[in-house]
Amino acid sequence: MAITISRRQFGFFAGAAVAASSLAACSGSGSGSGKGKVVWSTWGSPEDLKSFDTFQEAFKKSNPDIDLVFQPTPSYSEYHSKLLTQLSSGTAPDVFYIGDDRVASVIRNNVLMPIGDKLSGTSISEGDFAANVLDIGRWEGKLYALPNDVNPDTLWYDKEALKAAGITDDPAQLAADDKWTTEVFFEMTAKLKAAGLTGAVYWNYWATHDGFMTAQGGKVYDDQGKYVAHQDQASVTAMEEYAQRFQSGEMKLADLLPEGAGSDTLLVTHKLGFLAAGRYTIGSIRGAGVDEALYDIVRWPSIDGTAKPTGVAASYLAVNAKTADTDAALKFFSSFLDADGQKLRLSGAGNAVPSIKGADDIVLSENYPAHAQTMLDMRDIGYSNFATEAAVPDLSNQISVELMQPLYEGKSDAKTTLEAVAKLVEEKTA
Amino acid sequence: MTTTTVDSPPKTTKTSGRKILGIGAKHLVILVAGLIMVAPFIWMLLTSFKGLPQLLQDPLSLLPKPWVFTNFADAWNALPFARAYFNSIYITVLIVAGTLLTTTMAAYGFARIPFKGSRALFVVFLAMQMVPKQVTLVPFYFLMAKIGWIDSHLALIVPAVMVNPFGVFLARQFIMSVPIELEEAAMIDGASRWRIYWQVILPTIRPGMGALAIITALDAWNSFLLPLILLNSTDLFTVPLLLSQFQGQYGGMNYGLVMAATAVSVVPMLIAFLVGQRQIINSLATSGLGGR
Amino acid sequence: MSAAAIRPAPPTAAPPARKSWRAGDRRWGMLFVAPQAIGMLLFTLIPFVFAFVLAFTEWNGFGLPRYIGFDNFRDQLTSPLLGRSIINTLIIAVITVPIGLFLAILVATALNKIKGRPFYMVLFFTPVVTSTVAIALIWQQILRPDGVLSDFMSRTLGIPQIDWLGDPRLALLAVCAVTIWSSMGLNIVIFMAGLQNVSPSVLEAAAIDGAGPVSRFFKVILPLLSPIIFYQSVVAFISSLQTFDLVFILVKNAGPDNATRTIVYHIYDLGFAKSQFGISSAASIILLLLTLLITALQFAAQKRFVHYEG
Repeated sequence: MAITISRRQFGFFAGAAVAASSLAACSGSGSGSGKGKVVWSTWGSPEDLKSFDTFQEAFKKSNPDIDLVFQPTPSYSEYHSKLLTQLSSGTAPDVFYIGDDRVASVIRNNVLMPIGDKLSGTSISEGDFAANVLDIGRWEGKLYALPNDVNPDTLWYDKEALKAAGITDDPAQLAADDKWTTEVFFEMTAKLKAAGLTGAVYWNYWATHDGFMTAQGGKVYDDQGKYVAHQDQASVTAMEEYAQRFQSGEMKLADLLPEGAGSDTLLVTHKLGFLAAGRYTIGSIRGAGVDEALYDIVRWPSIDGTAKPTGVAASYLAVNAKTADTDAALKFFSSFLDADGQKLRLSGAGNAVPSIKGADDIVLSENYPAHAQTMLDMRDIGYSNFATEAAVPDLSNQISVELMQPLYEGKSDAKTTLEAVAKLVEEKTA
Repeated sequence: MTTTTVDSPPKTTKTSGRKILGIGAKHLVILVAGLIMVAPFIWMLLTSFKGLPQLLQDPLSLLPKPWVFTNFADAWNALPFARAYFNSIYITVLIVAGTLLTTTMAAYGFARIPFKGSRALFVVFLAMQMVPKQVTLVPFYFLMAKIGWIDSHLALIVPAVMVNPFGVFLARQFIMSVPIELEEAAMIDGASRWRIYWQVILPTIRPGMGALAIITALDAWNSFLLPLILLNSTDLFTVPLLLSQFQGQYGGMNYGLVMAATAVSVVPMLIAFLVGQRQIINSLATSGLGGR
Repeated sequence: MSAAAIRPAPPTAAPPARKSWRAGDRRWGMLFVAPQAIGMLLFTLIPFVFAFVLAFTEWNGFGLPRYIGFDNFRDQLTSPLLGRSIINTLIIAVITVPIGLFLAILVATALNKIKGRPFYMVLFFTPVVTSTVAIALIWQQILRPDGVLSDFMSRTLGIPQIDWLGDPRLALLAVCAVTIWSSMGLNIVIFMAGLQNVSPSVLEAAAIDGAGPVSRFFKVILPLLSPIIFYQSVVAFISSLQTFDLVFILVKNAGPDNATRTIVYHIYDLGFAKSQFGISSAASIILLLLTLLITALQFAAQKRFVHYEG
């Protein structure tokens, strides 16, 4: 027999339809509606998002009059797609994260609230933040966004993998002695490759290419924001040398690793020497249940073995210009960013490094990794994404995927690639 | 090949032996094919009981060793599955009920009550049946934003209920096959159009509408693109959308957890299907439609 | 729609009762049609017109759209990405529709009048009631280079590990295979219903004529099923032109070298990922034209290949 719907059932459905559509009407939580409500959003896997639980609980407790709604999205790129669409249709959250390759372009759409003059009377001020990551939050003299926290890409290394490749020197020790040279590093990755392991893995994004160049003394953008890497011999040489290692298989791009043998998996199964990644790697190592003492961190190598600036990944927090309740939004904004807020979010096995003065001890107090201080040092001398690049939506990503990736895959050479980047940047910023 | 002559019903042992062999082989082939169809689900269930150490060290062994039961609790706790189930169920019920109501109403109007412009309007419906929904994706989003239905289930329910040209077309086919004499008898009794629709037409076309209900329910339950762009708050997510949150970082290493979450989303549907499988398959078969 | 026996319209002699409420009848007609008609106007026609208008503008969602004539269409028709998307989508349709329908007919024929059919049907129908997202998540793990399938093949066939989803030549084939697998059950049900309408006497007659099972399948069963095959192929073709959910979850970022970028993915990517709403609308108009073209072609082909009884 077939499913048949009796008239009584039909009547029930019709009744249910009426009753439940009122339910549906109530369940909509349109953003920015009503007093004392703050909708905020960020990206992250369900696991990552747990680090916000403590903060959200504390905020709700101390601000019982504010109704806090959280709207997370798992993937970084999907989050930004959604945010831009929401901003253009006027349905964006009140307070939201923006990635460092997008923030400058969002600012230029006039959809963010200028916050510079609204900070007085809150728990934060502009001067509390690391100056080198503030720049791209500014436009035409006004401040629109502040860094939530930062993540310098330290090189995580696996002592067991190094040992298996017959490497006896400890990279962190070499760095402490200012003997951490590119030459030594390349020798190590070659030995790792020879031992059947992967030398080093990097994510294909701006901080990787730019870090390769600046650590070798090269320039990427000049002070006027013009792309100059293709005219700088040090930059060209740096890219050429690194690209060679990618082509030989000593180094790999994390983005291209197959599902199931991703960078974290390689690291915790002792198949990888170095992984350029942030503080969130602590979580991956602990989650896998391996001996965490086998892992430590070191800065990027340079020609003379001393510390050189490299890219610092950062995420920014901004307030919607259309927010219904500015006071509540600013209250959340400042509580999220002040030293107490950052401590709540980042302590324990937190996933980033604070962007504000007075919270650094959360990185050091864990005593893990052994050279945790390296993260703070790299943050202090590093730089955030260049404003020129971040001002064009998707430009950083386009450079990485369409131009740098072919270079690493051996389909192009460094000089040609950097010239193509310069051309693209000029086209897009014209 | 076989000696099938009509006047020899008692079959020779030779042919029946052959036949049994043939039938046995047929069963074997179908069984193997069927097992290939469900193998991914079996693999999903087995993997959902594997712990991270085993996934890292020995990912290929078939059976979990040891059996880990925490993945399910972890998956259930990581995201609001119970809430998502509630959302999906009530959205699906509303869409199915509403769709059945509006499509049969419109179909009755088109099939049996002539009014000015009726024909032209029906042609528009036929034409619009051909337009893929994705063509209007961008404007639809901005329309929902204008109405204020972004991050609201209304954006999923109301348009789905009010736009289903295929359902109208199908219901019209069924209504056309209802003998008009039935209607006329009711008319003579002084029944209103609504009463005729409710008491004569609907009961007659019920069997066919069961299939439309199933197809609509499957579509509503599985819908992904629209919830993806329209919903923001995790509490409003439907089951597929919530499940999609598990892709990405989670997938890399601890995919036992991902498979547990997938199982949590799949198994209740499978049980519901098993309970009603005979009716579901028969309804689809008798109506002869598989339009998805 | 074979089951719906359509009755001829009754003679036009109107019964006297009808006259008495004819005046109000029109209003009833409109009332009955109203919910769907209003929905059609509000949620399809108006957005449809808006899509056409947007297709001729440049708009990133902020400020006002700017009219730019046919630039978007020019851009899209010369875009290698759209070309890639169209080719990929057509490949999916051309591979999955014939193979999927053929396999389904085979299984339906085998299941016709067999003992334990409900049990087998459950096996084949299970993927149909599973959401595409769940299907994608399961297959994503199975198709890994170090996953069960690759391992099984390398052990039995002695070939090296295969990265199904990471290899630009294989990713689209993997998508096709999963599509065939997941839609099999529904197609089987349809064809089984069709087979039940084939009278056993026809098959017996063919058997008496000395036709073996293979020639019976091709010479008798397939032609008898051809109207359903035609209808199903139209439906399946159109729905495979709209492939999105599966590739969106199964393969990251449209796959290696955009190997699995489909038209709907392209529309989503331009509109919702890149905020180029004008170009996205232009691409969706192209999808519409393509759908219409293919449907027209299929109906033209119907005249030649479909055998209607009687």
